This record gives sequence, structure tokens and C-alpha cells, in this order.
Amino acid sequence: MSAPLRALPAVFSLGLQQQLAYRWNYFLRAIFSALPLLVSWVFWGAVFQGRETVGPYTFAGILTYYAVLLVVEAVCQPSDDDFQISREIREGMLNPILLRPLPYGLYRGALFAAGRCAYLVAALIPVSFCLLLLSRVIDLEWANFNLGHGLPALVGAALLQFSLTLCLSLCSFWLLDVSALIFLVYALEFLAGGHVFPLDLLPAPVFAVVRLLPFAYEYWFPAAALCGHLTDGAWKAGLCLQYGWAFFFLVLAHFIWKAGLRRYTAAGG
Amino acid sequence: MKLLRLWLLQVRYAATRELMFRAGFFVWVAVELAWFVIQLAFVGVIYHHVDEVAGWSRNEMIVLVATNQLVMQIFTAFLMPGLSKLPDLVRTGKLDFILLKPAPPPFLVSTSHLEIGPLANGGIAIVVLAGAVQGLGLHPSWMELGSYLALILAGLLVHYAVLMALVSLTFWIIQAESVLLGYYTIFHVARIPREASTGWFRIVFTLVVPLLLVANVPASTLVRGLEPGPIVIFLLSSLWVAVLATSFFLLGLRRYQSASS
Repeated sequence: MSAPLRALPAVFSLGLQQQLAYRWNYFLRAIFSALPLLVSWVFWGAVFQGRETVGPYTFAGILTYYAVLLVVEAVCQPSDDDFQISREIREGMLNPILLRPLPYGLYRGALFAAGRCAYLVAALIPVSFCLLLLSRVIDLEWANFNLGHGLPALVGAALLQFSLTLCLSLCSFWLLDVSALIFLVYALEFLAGGHVFPLDLLPAPVFAVVRLLPFAYEYWFPAAALCGHLTDGAWKAGLCLQYGWAFFFLVLAHFIWKAGLRRYTAAGG
Repeated sequence: MKLLRLWLLQVRYAATRELMFRAGFFVWVAVELAWFVIQLAFVGVIYHHVDEVAGWSRNEMIVLVATNQLVMQIFTAFLMPGLSKLPDLVRTGKLDFILLKPAPPPFLVSTSHLEIGPLANGGIAIVVLAGAVQGLGLHPSWMELGSYLALILAGLLVHYAVLMALVSLTFWIIQAESVLLGYYTIFHVARIPREASTGWFRIVFTLVVPLLLVANVPASTLVRGLEPGPIVIFLLSSLWVAVLATSFFLLGLRRYQSASS
């Protein structure tokens, strides 16, 4: 096994320890992440008052979508990786990392994976509690649940979110503060990614455009694949686009890193 | 009077500091505007499929969302920047400098910083609000407009109370950055029409923590006229949570140990 690959388990373990250093902070984050499901339940309950369906969704169907979205979020959404990368560049903390025989992308990838694993465990209790509570008052639509479609889409979404985060945060080589850029892309991800509402509720022409963008493959596509809303053809086409976008952003991040390193000045010991 | 003079001085100092970074000002206005557009897009998508939600038409819902945005942006401009720095002040021990000053610590903590960008977005919210009110063909009286402004102030008290209570957890938890996420998440409740909720959800978020009233009561005042019952409940409950949150902060302060040498 090559040296970088041998180092990865150690970096992963380091990442886990970093994430679990402040357990209460982490646990609070997980609890708060489950609150929107409660709000969705109340709000969509009013929307469905006197109606069987809204667009292609029943009330149970839309709540199942939001419940699955919680899982997608736990598996794929970076927690603090973007700001950590930005800090490492801005404050010169890259110096010790550059000396190690480990590509920076792989190093950050291992930390990202550790963060997701730790968060998944922390979110397990509040998310399960929320799902249990919800399933007592409404029959969630688990019958069409498709793990075969969902798992590859989840891995693709995690890869896509990681590569996009890497691209954005590496802009710190040129910008003093990337937080505004990061929050602007967050907003786009929330709207065009299907975080605020399922994208198939959009008017058909808008939906046709939005599903070509990378954001749709961060939340909506894995959630729809897990819920079993996609035909085989739509799933395969979506998967190709999802991995295509992830590959594009990984290559872009590689070039940004190369260009950024030429500008980077290491100062101090 | 002394506190008002002190606050105006802090505002002047903070405004000068903010205007040093003009590019950052415009970028953050764009960011906040994007989040407002998301809320309006959500309303657009819902009303693409239905005509009303819990008795609220599209324009009425826009009045609700814009009112919520207005309260949030005023809060983000004047009180949130200071409050959100409390976890850092406690962890690094810099709270010492605030405690040494001859003014109440909750006041100094919450007014120590200011952001001007949200005020621009508050202006945009007012324009959207005015458009929706005109679309509804409403002509609010001076009395209703005055009540609307007073209720916005009560909404600010609720925002202050929730964030003050959340950031005060920092006296017990070493790193409490997640509370900011909690603040944003909790206020999703404020965007729901009050009539949409029932049972324990409605009781908790009306009487215990009146999040459901923050935008609903002022928006209803514009749309449906003055309703004394909800207004009195809102004013009393906003005062109650503000007092409770400040007491919680003072309780936490007793645990604070100075980090200076």
C-alpha cells in the first residue's frame, strides 16, 4: 500500500477526535437539524387541508421526502470543512500539511468522511426520535423505499458536496473572506437543490432547467432516489449527471489548488 | 437616558467600522437578499398549486413573509452581531472588558456591534410588503400602522430573548457555535400562518415562546385590522420571554470565571 493510503486511517481517526472534542455543540447541532421536519409537518398539513395531492405528492409522501432529506443532510452536508480550509490557507496553517507526503485533497476527504460518520452517529438519536414521532401520527410512505437506487446517489451527493466545498474554500488563496461566497452558494443549494421544497413541485419548464444544474444532485436527487420516486431511466441519467458534476468540480479544485499554491506564501515557523 | 446616549455612541462607532469595508457591505446585502428570495420562491411554488393556505391568500402570505424578514433584518442589524459574539467572549475571557464597564452587561453584550447591510434588506422587505398590501387593495389607518410598528418592536424582543437564551448556554457548554444554527432553525416557526397550527404546537409557540406571533400578529393587523386579544397576548408574552432570557443570562454569568491573569 502506498504511503498516502496508509496515512488515511490515521487522518480519519484524527478527524473523528476533532469532531467529538465538543460533544454538546455537536449534539445540539443534530437536535436543531431535526426541527424543520416538525415545522414542515405543521405547514404542509395546512397546505393539504381539503386536498388529496399537491403536484405529484400526497401529505405522507411529502413528509417522507423531508424525513429522507434529514438523512441525506447527515450523510452528505459538510459541517465546517469550508471554513476550516479557508482558515488553513489564510492563517498559514497549510505549512505543516504541505510538508506531509499526502495530497491535500485526500487529506481533506478523509477529514470530511470522519465528520460525516461522527455526525451521522450524533444525529441518529434526534432523527430517529423525530421519525418515530411522525410515524405515530401519519403513515410515512416507506413502501417504495429504494436502497439500491438511493445508496449510489447518496455517495455521489457526498462526493459532489465535498468537491464543491473544496472549490469554494480554495478561493481563499485570492479572497480575504470567502464566507459571503459560501453563504451565497448555500442559498442556491437550498433553493435549487430541493432543500426548501421538492424540485418536482416547480413548473415543468423550470424543473427541466434546474435538474441540469449540480445543486439538484446534492439533495433532491438522492432523496427522490431513496423515496423510490425515480424510474430506472431517470435514475441512471441522474447518476451520470451527478458523478459528472462531481468529477468536474474535483478537476476544477485540482487546478484552483495548483494556481493557488503559486500565490501562497508560507511565513513563520 | 444614559443608556440611550451610550447606545447612540455605540451605533456611531459601529457604523464607522462597518463603512471601512464597503465591498463586504454590498456582498452581504446580496447574500441576505438571496435568502429572502428563497422564501418568496417557496411562496410562489406553493401558490402555483393551491389558492390559499390556512385562510391566507398569496399576497397575504407575502405580507407575512415580508414582515418576518423585516423583524429579522432589524434584529440582525442592531442586536444579533453583539449577541452572536458572546460564546467567543466567554471562551477567550474577553467578557472581562464588558463586565468592567459601568452599564448593565446584557445591554452592553447585545449592542456592542452593528451591521448596516441588513438595514438595506429591511428596506427591500418594506418595498415587497408595500407591493403586497397594494395588491390586496388595503389602506391601513394610521392607528393600524402605529400598532404594526409597535408589534415589530415586540417581535424584536422575542428574537432578542431566543438568541440571548441560546447564546447563554455558552456559560455551560465550552463551544456553543451550533446555537446560531438553532436560532435560524427555530425561527422557521415564525413564517407559518398561526391558523395552520393546532394542539400543543400552537400552545407552546404562542404562550411559552411566542414565535408564532412574531410575524403573524403584525401581518394580521395590516391585513385584517386590529385584533385586541392576540395583540395583548403577544405584548405580554414577548415581555415575559425577554425577562426570562435576561435572567437566564445573569444566572449563567454567575458561573463565568475570568480568564485574565
